[in-house]
Amino acid sequence: MIANGIVETESPEEFIEEIERAQNALPKKIDANPKNVEKGLAKLVLTLIELIRKLLEKQAMRRVEAGSLSDEQIENVGETLMKLESKMEELKQIFGLKDEELNLNLGPLGDLM
Amino acid sequence: MKLYLYGIIDSSDQIKESIYGLEEGSNVYNIPFCDIGAVVSEISQPIQGVTKGAVLVHEIVVEKLMEQFTVLPVRFQTIINGRDSLLSMMQSYYKDFKDNLARLHNKLEFGIKVIWPADKVKANIIKVLKKDEQKTIESDNSPNKRFIEEKFEEYKISKEFEAKADKFIKIIDIFFGKFAAEKKLEKLKTENLLLDAVYLVEKDKQKDFKEALEHIKNANYPGFKYLFSGPWPAYNFVVLSKKPGLLTDSEQNLFSLTK
Repeated sequence: MIANGIVETESPEEFIEEIERAQNALPKKIDANPKNVEKGLAKLVLTLIELIRKLLEKQAMRRVEAGSLSDEQIENVGETLMKLESKMEELKQIFGLKDEELNLNLGPLGDLM
Repeated sequence: MKLYLYGIIDSSDQIKESIYGLEEGSNVYNIPFCDIGAVVSEISQPIQGVTKGAVLVHEIVVEKLMEQFTVLPVRFQTIINGRDSLLSMMQSYYKDFKDNLARLHNKLEFGIKVIWPADKVKANIIKVLKKDEQKTIESDNSPNKRFIEEKFEEYKISKEFEAKADKFIKIIDIFFGKFAAEKKLEKLKTENLLLDAVYLVEKDKQKDFKEALEHIKNANYPGFKYLFSGPWPAYNFVVLSKKPGLLTDSEQNLFSLTK
C-alpha cells in the first residue's frame, strides 16, 4: 500500500535537518498553562517588544544608509538601541528564553518575524 | 457515529470502488450535498496520535479519490460529530467548496525545496562589502557610534543576503513557474533553506513540470540542492472564506431533498 506522490532528492538528510530546524524554531502557539503562565506571558510580551525593537533598529539603519542622521542623532540612536538590546538580553535571561523562541507562527499570515 | 472526513468531491454519486478507511472494517463512502459530496468513513474511537500508517491510509484514500474526482483534501485527523454536523458544515461552506472545486479541477500540487550554500554566499558578500568599504559613520571612539557601525555592517550583509536570495528564487521560479497555474513561495525559512515552494499544476503539464527539475539541475548552480515532491492533492491551495449568501433558492431546495 503506497501513495502515488514521490519525494525525490539527492540530499535527504540535509533536507530533513533544515525542515526540522524550520519547524522547531516556531512554536504554533504560546505554551501557557498554570505551571508556566508567567513564562508563557513573558514570552508573548517579549516577542512583541523584540518585534518593535527590530523595527526601530531597521528604521535607524535605513536612515544611516540614507545619510539623514546627524552625528548627534547617531550618538543618541546608538545609545538607545544599545540600552534596548542589553535590557532585552537581561529579560530573556530572567525568563530563560532564547532568541529563536521569540517568534510566533501566525498561521496563514506566516511568521511574526 | 462519528465520521472521519477525507475530502470534498465534485460529485454526489456513490463511490463505486471499495476503499478501506482508517478504522478496520469501515469502508469509505460519499455523503451527498446538492451536487457535491463529503467522503467519509465511520470511526468509533479517536485516532491515537499521528502514525505513519494512519497518515498513509488518509493519503491513499485522497489519492484514490483523485483518480475519479476533483478533491478538496481535508487535513489529517478531521473528525465530524455525525451526519447532521457534516451536512450543516457542507451548507455553510457550499459556495466555497464549489469555487475551490472549479479552481482546482484537473490540477495537482507539487513541492520544491531548495537548499543553497548560505555560508559561502554570506562569505562572498562580506568579501565584496569589505572591498568597497566606505565609512558611513566616523565612530571616533564613541561606543554608541561603534554600536551603530556594527549594526549597520550586519544590516548591509543581511540586505545583500536577502537580495541574492530573491535573485535566485526568481531564477528557480522561471524554470517551474511557467508550468504552474498558481504558486506559493516561501523564502529563507532557515538560512540554508532558500526556497520552500508549492506549485499547482494542470495534469497535462505535470511531465513538463517534472522535466523542469532536470533543467535546473543541468543549469549547475554549485552547492544548490533540490527536493522535488508530488503529485499531491492540492492541500495548500484550498482557500475557504465562508462566503455569505450560502445557498441560492434552487440550491436550498436541493439541500432539502438531500436531507
